[in-house]
Amino acid sequence: MSSEAFLGIRDLHVEAGGLPRVHGVSLDVGEGRFHGLLGPNGAGKTTVLRVLYRAARAKSGTITLAGRPMRDWTPRGWAGVTGALVQESGLLSGLSVRDVVEIGLARTGLSEGDTAKRIDEALDLAGLADRQDQDASTLSGGEQQRTHMAQLLARDPALYILDEPTNHLDLHYQLVLLDEVRRRGRTVLATFHDLSMAARYCDTVTVMSRGRSVATGTPADTLTPDLLREVYSVEGQLEGTLFRLEGPVRCDRL
Amino acid sequence: MTSARHTWLWPVSLALLGAAMLAGVFWGTAAIGWADRWAILTGDPAAPRSLSLIVWQWRLPRVLAVALIGAGLSLAGALMQTALRNPLADPYLMGLSSGASAAAVAMIIWAPAWIVAALGVPFAAFLGACAAFSITLGLSVRPGRMLSPLVVILAGVAVSLMFQSLTAFFLYIGDPQATRAALGWLMGTAAGTGWGDLPVPLAATVVVAAGALWRAGDLDMLLLGDERAAALGLRVAPFRLAIFAGAALLTGLSVAVAGIVGFVGLIVPHMARLLIGARHRRLLPLAMLLGAVVLVCVDLLCRTLLAPEELPLGVLLALFAAPPFIFILRRVRDVL
Repeated sequence: MSSEAFLGIRDLHVEAGGLPRVHGVSLDVGEGRFHGLLGPNGAGKTTVLRVLYRAARAKSGTITLAGRPMRDWTPRGWAGVTGALVQESGLLSGLSVRDVVEIGLARTGLSEGDTAKRIDEALDLAGLADRQDQDASTLSGGEQQRTHMAQLLARDPALYILDEPTNHLDLHYQLVLLDEVRRRGRTVLATFHDLSMAARYCDTVTVMSRGRSVATGTPADTLTPDLLREVYSVEGQLEGTLFRLEGPVRCDRL
Repeated sequence: MTSARHTWLWPVSLALLGAAMLAGVFWGTAAIGWADRWAILTGDPAAPRSLSLIVWQWRLPRVLAVALIGAGLSLAGALMQTALRNPLADPYLMGLSSGASAAAVAMIIWAPAWIVAALGVPFAAFLGACAAFSITLGLSVRPGRMLSPLVVILAGVAVSLMFQSLTAFFLYIGDPQATRAALGWLMGTAAGTGWGDLPVPLAATVVVAAGALWRAGDLDMLLLGDERAAALGLRVAPFRLAIFAGAALLTGLSVAVAGIVGFVGLIVPHMARLLIGARHRRLLPLAMLLGAVVLVCVDLLCRTLLAPEELPLGVLLALFAAPPFIFILRRVRDVL
């Protein structure tokens, strides 16, 4: 698979705050595939994504996108084909909902008309069309997440990098927005805590624990009771896209 | 925040600036009749020569300098608020004013007359501001990591405190005559500015404003957060450094020309943001216009309220800045 992978990560090592966070993670995502990055808190999922959206630097390892190593891309070129949903709070006071979406399209080189059309469609999808002039700092957490998701959908990059896309969202918008991402058939790398959502959307998943990748494959093959016990310290199993908790949660996790 | 809603702001603020500048030129300690005012402005040879001299050699360069400083400080403040993503950031946050004060006060109190004549207090103040800026940045930079806004703010506070105690020490041991002169400088005044003071700040303001407007879209991205800006293709660390350098240059030059002029860089960007929103392509020009209007008006009041005595700019600015500052604080408190 690695020869035709759209996104390839090889032996990635990342340090943050002087501490090693990711040790030798490798994964491949084929074009148009939805790949999940799973694992408990502190597993290093977000750190891998931060390297991909250029907020952190890898200590070693190689990343290729569409066959070209990441170091050969300019930041602008890279941002032209990738887009990230990030867990971060900005200073949105004085910006309307529409402004936030529009700022993301500033460097795309689209015509004014195309930009406006894309923004309208994305705001519609995110259920924010009637509130586009509202000050973004007055929105709730879920509405802000929808605003940032609308920006991403308006940009519609070839690679979606989603850090906890279901965060703060009610069930309706979790499904509406991820269904839309899926429908567009782009390549996706997303972190999830909700294993049922991961099973519903991901073609393949990589499970990480303490900075290493411990398993990779389809959700059904990967998320076995043994793995759930070992990685999450829970007794449970996946039935279709439903995660069923089957026993007491063990408290011996360190 | 559609732009159509705000089109009226541009002619109104331009008219305000024009009116403020005309008032600044027309009014002052020396009374000038309406007929003479027009004659002087149009260069009519029948205009009284002494009044013409006052307007052309004293008031006009002073009004222009004050407008330039108001615009520059306001631009610097707006840039700092964006770069640090902190609504209470202002141009002096990086210790610039304290560094400039310490250097200027040392110069006024201690330097022999020939050094003062050769270098000038403004130049010393600019060097002091540069020194403080360098120390603040030096304390904030962590190799291989992004410049953290919080670390810059803390470093700026530390550097400010250091230079403030130096300034206080210089004032304490200086002789009373020199100390009074130094205190006057510390509170900000545009008295005595001439045509020669204009070219450097003008060039710097034009260059920084043009650069900031050219990168207005990137400044907008910074508002969304560093990580989002990086994901959108912005090189955040060098961009932030460039913003700091531009803001420091404008602030250092304004301190050199008119001493410490507080509050404009903090309050005016907020006024502009309330009126027109936070998108930089609209915010920066409006903030600059309003900054010029505010400072020209305050300078006029400083010259005329207790004429022929002149009040320092800082005294009146603090008076006018307090109410809007409290209003903004309430708004910010509600948002945070």
